[in-house]
Amino acid sequence: MTFRQTMRACRSLFRIRFAEGLQYRAAAVSGVFISVFWGIIECVIYTVFYKYSQNPWNDGGMSLTQTMSYIWLAQGMWGLQAMSIDGDILEKIKSGDIGVELCRPMDLYFHWLAKSSAGKLGAVWLRGLLTIAAGALMPAAFRLKPPDSAAAFGLFLAALALAFALCSCYAMFVTAIRVNITWGEGPTYMLMLASGVLSGGYLPLRLWPDFLQGFLRLQPFGGFVDIPAQLYIGTLAPRDALAALGVQFFWCVLFLAAGRAILRRRLGSVIIQGG
Amino acid sequence: MGRLSGEFRIYIKYLRMHLLSGIEYKGWWLMLLQVLIVVVTDPISTILLFSRFGSIGVWTVERIILVYALAVASFGLAESFCRGFDYFPWHMLRTGNFDRLLLRPRSLFTQVAASFFHIHRLIRAATGIGAAAWALGKLEVPLTALNIAVLAMALAGGFVMYCGVFVLTSGLAFFTIKGLDWINILTNASYQITRCPEPYMPRSLKNIFTFLLPVLLVSFYPASTVCGWGYPPWLGFLPLPAGLLFMGLALIFWRIGVRHYKSTGS
Repeated sequence: MTFRQTMRACRSLFRIRFAEGLQYRAAAVSGVFISVFWGIIECVIYTVFYKYSQNPWNDGGMSLTQTMSYIWLAQGMWGLQAMSIDGDILEKIKSGDIGVELCRPMDLYFHWLAKSSAGKLGAVWLRGLLTIAAGALMPAAFRLKPPDSAAAFGLFLAALALAFALCSCYAMFVTAIRVNITWGEGPTYMLMLASGVLSGGYLPLRLWPDFLQGFLRLQPFGGFVDIPAQLYIGTLAPRDALAALGVQFFWCVLFLAAGRAILRRRLGSVIIQGG
Repeated sequence: MGRLSGEFRIYIKYLRMHLLSGIEYKGWWLMLLQVLIVVVTDPISTILLFSRFGSIGVWTVERIILVYALAVASFGLAESFCRGFDYFPWHMLRTGNFDRLLLRPRSLFTQVAASFFHIHRLIRAATGIGAAAWALGKLEVPLTALNIAVLAMALAGGFVMYCGVFVLTSGLAFFTIKGLDWINILTNASYQITRCPEPYMPRSLKNIFTFLLPVLLVSFYPASTVCGWGYPPWLGFLPLPAGLLFMGLALIFWRIGVRHYKSTGS
């Protein structure tokens, strides 16, 4: 099967899984409740620190209004990150159905990439959009403000698309590691947790200790949440955007290549589990 | 009384069984490590915020950690010893396994509560208690018998309250079967509010988490009574009654749910 045919099959798979994710509208609404609740708690906590703490000036270059916007964007984008391996694929690894998958005349990596990323996007885009909309409707003190400038908004959208690609490639990288492990989810879970903590979703990366800033700018996971959000609120100026998008793109390619290589190696000695 | 001790024996027997079958897996202790890492990373953002911005008036990082740790520890206890209800909507109701419990001549409550037990869940409780002890040491609180009793009652009340949350979820699950994710607001998200000092909390949040789900009653007020933060000391004695009241209401939902039940799954 040629590359072009694989791509066509992947496009169909993407459409199917995407539509599937939309079936669970109640889950999306339920999810919006959770995100909005978390968002409000975060807003309260950051406001208290910005207004009543001993050193409110030490804000890492992020004003309170910018932080409020950041919180809502982070809540909206949070869903893009995989916090576990795609359920369908994990089931196939565990039950031995991976053997059947290998019989298909397609590149397994792109097959799974299309499937897992579409499943993710289908399940979260509505939740994310509604969460961000809720953020824009909050009382003035907690509100998501409009983007810093038109350029900032355009760059935000570009970074958002790259964030989706990066999250998907990272999820596939972790999935590739999971193939052939027979003793549980520990290592993959740790990898997912590390990405979550360093993405900016826990704490905006600018508010981490100053001596870590250089590392935080270059590490891969800021591309999940922090880079798009910072471009939107303007703490990352448009003239620095190219470098930030470059970091996202670089890690995206690296995870893609590494994921493919690992998957190929693992499939060389694949253990068909279950029975 | 005889019946109650009989139920308790069954409960312990179930837990022993789950424990023994759990540690048959070679890498079971890896899960302990995993939960420990999750529990320790959770308050990182709060600690980093304090290290950047400094204390909020009189509210130092130790005080906040104490309140937070009390809430987390009681959640961990409930998660450990009432795991069956936590899992109930997902692993019992949807699969139809609940039907089998209905056939047995024992109380449903015991059977469901003991239907799952994971030793690694105790790590959350242990870490929480450890962190609370550290904070108490830093705040130089004398460990008199009364103080220890107040803290123990706070943990017991919180334990009962969070068990009540799981029971309530299970009761609601009879009606909805799916779409119960929002309950996360009452579990993992609920103790996040303790990261905010009580005087700075918006009134509506304070009311919700005092009167609807008494998280503040089982964490903040006992801590205040023990450390003397200027709130009426009797507030520190409320956790147990509040927890029991919440559990009572949850049990009503559970009863209604069981009566409504018409089997699911296959």
